[in-house]
Amino acid sequence: MADSKYITLVSRDGFEFVVLREAALVSPTIKGMLRSQFIEARTGRCCFPEIDGVILEKVVDYFHYWYRNRDKEEVPDMEIPVELCLELLMAANYLNLEPATGLRDWT
Amino acid sequence: MSRQNRPPRRIVGPQSALTDFLASHNISAHQIRLDADARRRAAQNEQDEANDQTNDQAAASTPAPFPAVSASPARATRSRRAEGTGAPDEAARSKEQKAIDKIKASKKFQKRKRGLGDSEDEDDLVDALLKRSAPLPGQMENCEVCGTRFTVTPYTRNGPNGGLLCNKCGKELEKDDAAAKKKKQAKRAGGGAVGMRRQLQSNILDGTYTLGAKSLMTLCIETLAKNIDLAEDLGDLPPSIMDMVARKLSKHRLLDSRTLSLLLNPTAEEVHVYDGAKLSSDDFIRIFRTVPGLKRLKVRNGIHFKDDVLDYLMSRHIELEEFYVHGANLLSNSKWKEFLQQKGRSLRSLRVYWTDKHFGDEVLSLLESACPSLTRLKVCHNQEVTGTGVVTIGNLNCLRHLSLDLRNEVHPDVYVGVLSKIGPSLETLSLTRVRTGDNSILDAIHAHCRSLVKLRITDSEEMTDAGFVRLFQDWANPGLVFLDLQKCRQLDSTHPRANADGIGLCSDGFRALMAHSGKTLKFLNVHGCRHIQAAAFEEAFGPEKVYDAMRKLEISFCEEVTDFVAGSIFRSCPNLRELNVFGCMKVKDVRVPRGKILVGVPNAKGMVIEGDDEDNE
Repeated sequence: MADSKYITLVSRDGFEFVVLREAALVSPTIKGMLRSQFIEARTGRCCFPEIDGVILEKVVDYFHYWYRNRDKEEVPDMEIPVELCLELLMAANYLNLEPATGLRDWT
Repeated sequence: MSRQNRPPRRIVGPQSALTDFLASHNISAHQIRLDADARRRAAQNEQDEANDQTNDQAAASTPAPFPAVSASPARATRSRRAEGTGAPDEAARSKEQKAIDKIKASKKFQKRKRGLGDSEDEDDLVDALLKRSAPLPGQMENCEVCGTRFTVTPYTRNGPNGGLLCNKCGKELEKDDAAAKKKKQAKRAGGGAVGMRRQLQSNILDGTYTLGAKSLMTLCIETLAKNIDLAEDLGDLPPSIMDMVARKLSKHRLLDSRTLSLLLNPTAEEVHVYDGAKLSSDDFIRIFRTVPGLKRLKVRNGIHFKDDVLDYLMSRHIELEEFYVHGANLLSNSKWKEFLQQKGRSLRSLRVYWTDKHFGDEVLSLLESACPSLTRLKVCHNQEVTGTGVVTIGNLNCLRHLSLDLRNEVHPDVYVGVLSKIGPSLETLSLTRVRTGDNSILDAIHAHCRSLVKLRITDSEEMTDAGFVRLFQDWANPGLVFLDLQKCRQLDSTHPRANADGIGLCSDGFRALMAHSGKTLKFLNVHGCRHIQAAAFEEAFGPEKVYDAMRKLEISFCEEVTDFVAGSIFRSCPNLRELNVFGCMKVKDVRVPRGKILVGVPNAKGMVIEGDDEDNE
């Protein structure tokens, strides 16, 4: 199970999403969950009791969007529904999906 | 098809409870409906006669006119037409035929007809158009959304399910439509190949270029900034995200009184206003009122950051630790002094940008007594400070970071004096535009500075190559991380090439600096140091040299840089992100490793990003 290509993400309201493991690893939080000796690493099942199904669905969308475009230039932006924007932002923060440190950041 | 006109056949589908109830009381719902339909038809015929003209006009011109109140009347007329029964309907039928002819003749019909094939479709189309013109202005109808009864007018709108909407709901719908339309248009403007390429180049110059998709957070923040007018409250976002939102809003010039309130979190310790151009004094005062625990304040373009704002700040129990203000020219000299004397004790960082007249020597000389714990001082683009003020900086014993960008010429001896006092503890030294700065400053840095991380000396026309060699050779300071020596070069328009005295950073100085700090440098800027020879670059970036730390290199207007040098740089600096080569006319065709950026190639393409998989690890 631990070596499966897919992992399962579970939302607060019980929705389950089966995601390509490599795509989900973009999130350092999930990466951490799967690397260590936690139960998630053994079962390949990550529960997010703070994230609603609607939001997690978008997050999963993003994972695959990111995975598809990981080496491309000129990637078209993913549409973010305005009404989910804030909650999605919180989820992104929780999952550590932060912008890469820019060039100006020399320290 | 229509049960109304035939004798009831007693074939009934599922009945509603109401129908059952009525039937048990000997009341037939069917009969009621028939009667109602008859009444409605009669009313319609009357209306038809009265409004014939207007009705047809409306049907032709209004884009979304009146749909059927209920589908049945139109269908009923249709079937009646087919059967050809009912004498009282004769007049109505001829009227209807007239209407059909009119519809068939109309442009709209012709246009739609082109999309359709056979005559049955044509019939349907006539039916559809006829049905639309069925309910007439002046009738009463229940709104589809809110259910209130209202009078149908020619301007009444269709609901999403084909019913009619009252005035209020109609307006609401229109608003949504307008928003959707706007959104669609905006999307079109940003798309296309040219738009994408422009965006890419923009990202490169912004320093936000990356391979692959943007982070989810960036996407969300961009969406949020685009729709900030819809937001009423941003909720409890962490400060780091709040800061990103603030930056994005300011970048789009969206920060005003209203959006500022979204960014003010009463429990926050820092407020960063990246563009305060649209804020009034009252808005700045509101910052102190809503964020009582404020410790770090940054205000850019704070034009209305005036005396009364500082007055208010002084009247509160806010002890600022970091104060960054840009463009606040309306603050008077006396208010600055008053503020520092009252609130300077807690100040650790004071940064003042773009002030013309009122931040001068007197204020600087106050810092020693008023701000004993000041560790960071930055005075940028200032027209008032002279050597008298700079001398007093030497008394700030805690100072770790010093940046000066003064418009007045200050004698090098003044800087030497400051460095001899506080040099040993300085981590940042930035002297921008020191035209008269000479080797004595470099020697003082060499002699006193032991913990420098960031060094900037720009625009010197006096420092020589030998001076730079003396600075970097056997310097007891650990390697620098940030070094900016741009435009330290000889300036003589009559002999632009000759540099007999070795003025500016030249080959030997460059070799010495790379030998001293090459391993640790992340950012190096030697922009415009024209007299660094190709040999020095080739030596510094030779095949056996590796600079792992280097992230950005700016070598624009170094005339000797060639394709070979640029290639060597990419090889020697594996983690380099960006190389700037504006004005390096010998750079023509460099192979740029994938994911790295070469900016400023002098050809028609301007800026080029190329990638090849061979160099990709």
